[in-house]
Amino acid sequence: MEPAIADAQRAMPPRRASSSAAGAARVSHRPSLRRRLHGLVIVPSVAVLCGAASLAHAEDVAQWLARAAAAARAQNYVGTIVYQHGGRVETSRLAHIFANGEEEDRLVSLDGPAREVIRSAGEVRCYYPDARVVRIEPRTIRNVFPSLSAEQQSALAEYYDFRKAETARVAGYDAQAWVFEPKDGMRYGHKFWSEAGTGLLLKARLLGEHGEVVEQFAFMDITIGGNVDPSLVKPTWSSTPPDWTVREGSAGEKNASDTGWVVKSLPPGFVKIREGFRRLRGRPDPVAHLVFSDGLVAVSVFVQPLTTAPAQVGFSQQGGVNVYSLRLDDNLVTALGEVPGTTVRQIASSVARR
Amino acid sequence: MNEAISRLMDGDAGDPELERLCRECDGGAEAMRTWVAYHVIGDAMRGSGTLAPGFSHRFEARFAGEPTMLAPRARIAHRANAVWAIAATVAAVAVVGWTAVSLTDAPTTAIARARQASDVHASALRPQSVPEDYLLAHQEYSPATAMQGVGPYLRAVSVPLADSPR
Repeated sequence: MEPAIADAQRAMPPRRASSSAAGAARVSHRPSLRRRLHGLVIVPSVAVLCGAASLAHAEDVAQWLARAAAAARAQNYVGTIVYQHGGRVETSRLAHIFANGEEEDRLVSLDGPAREVIRSAGEVRCYYPDARVVRIEPRTIRNVFPSLSAEQQSALAEYYDFRKAETARVAGYDAQAWVFEPKDGMRYGHKFWSEAGTGLLLKARLLGEHGEVVEQFAFMDITIGGNVDPSLVKPTWSSTPPDWTVREGSAGEKNASDTGWVVKSLPPGFVKIREGFRRLRGRPDPVAHLVFSDGLVAVSVFVQPLTTAPAQVGFSQQGGVNVYSLRLDDNLVTALGEVPGTTVRQIASSVARR
Repeated sequence: MNEAISRLMDGDAGDPELERLCRECDGGAEAMRTWVAYHVIGDAMRGSGTLAPGFSHRFEARFAGEPTMLAPRARIAHRANAVWAIAATVAAVAVVGWTAVSLTDAPTTAIARARQASDVHASALRPQSVPEDYLLAHQEYSPATAMQGVGPYLRAVSVPLADSPR
């Protein structure tokens, strides 16, 4: 794809100061057919949808996140999860067990190409039986939230309006909806439905600038609590079949504090939560990996030496994750995260040598 | 230009072409008439029936009240049929072309379709180059994973596996 084309698609006007303004209120500087089309569409924003709901206290935010994370980790649950993105719907079985202080998960796709994800204490394995490939990635951290700094917690309240919204039923459980409405155009809106008793998230939705659904994860059915059969979190293949290809990455955490790369123009509220090198499968040189977070989402920056293979630059997207790559001298810089395309572009474009 | 409009209807027009066509439809009645005519012809050939008088205005009014749900469908490969489609279209113009202009009351429906076509095209372009190993490495550090458990890993495995390591 030509990057210039992708650039044009993503070069959206920045969010206005008042995020509650509807699409109809947009000022048209260059009246074109497409502009006027946008004017036709009255789009309720997140603010309008949730205007009647009560605004929770800022200090509740970190508590709420911690409760959701604790439930996702420490509860046992088995269910069917639906992932919707870009007009596609994918259904998978999900099982989660927490025992002896460790989590074990298994995701098995029910439609489309067969795929299976096994997450255990030390690694994540992705099985692709059609391609006879298994990918293995090490896990170096177990839970993001205990490391959430006071700075990040205050950033959350500063850059999102956190609101309690309606109550609803999701997958047969009573749920409470919560909304994180961004105060600037650098992040998406988020709406979460948490189960009333445990706080476990039953549905999570990413919302774009005009309130459109960018991506959604939702349980269709779920059983929370009780004993889960341990066989439900074991891989279908107890050992990797001999004719399969194993693509294995490694953490390679050498010199974890300084990769020699910095992001000069970080969006407000984002702070660095990790820096180090990673070996990704098939790449001889270690890849620098920096992670930035505003407390709710993360953006990864990867810098790798360019090989002779042509590198793809420009925008790409997977559901709520936007990706932007560019060349910087003899390196390929890629920024990706659950933020709008303009945000990953700003971050990737401001990567420089320390 | 007629071929370009036909490609646009099939979702095969590139972005520069799309921009140019939008400008032409915006500025000239001829391009818009062709666009409308081709859709009426297409509807007639598929047997979709004729719209009631005043449909466009009513559609515009209802469309204005709808929230936007961006849900583009996957792009369907039918470039091979494009030549035949154009040929069929050109042939059909002679038969029913004259009815097209007299049947339609406003180009609003066509505009709505043009917008949908551009959205579909934009989404079809993007997912091709998502580096799935980066996605997998990123997922571990995302607070979304901590809150939602293993579910968000679906993003990483939803990307088609690259045939060989880059």
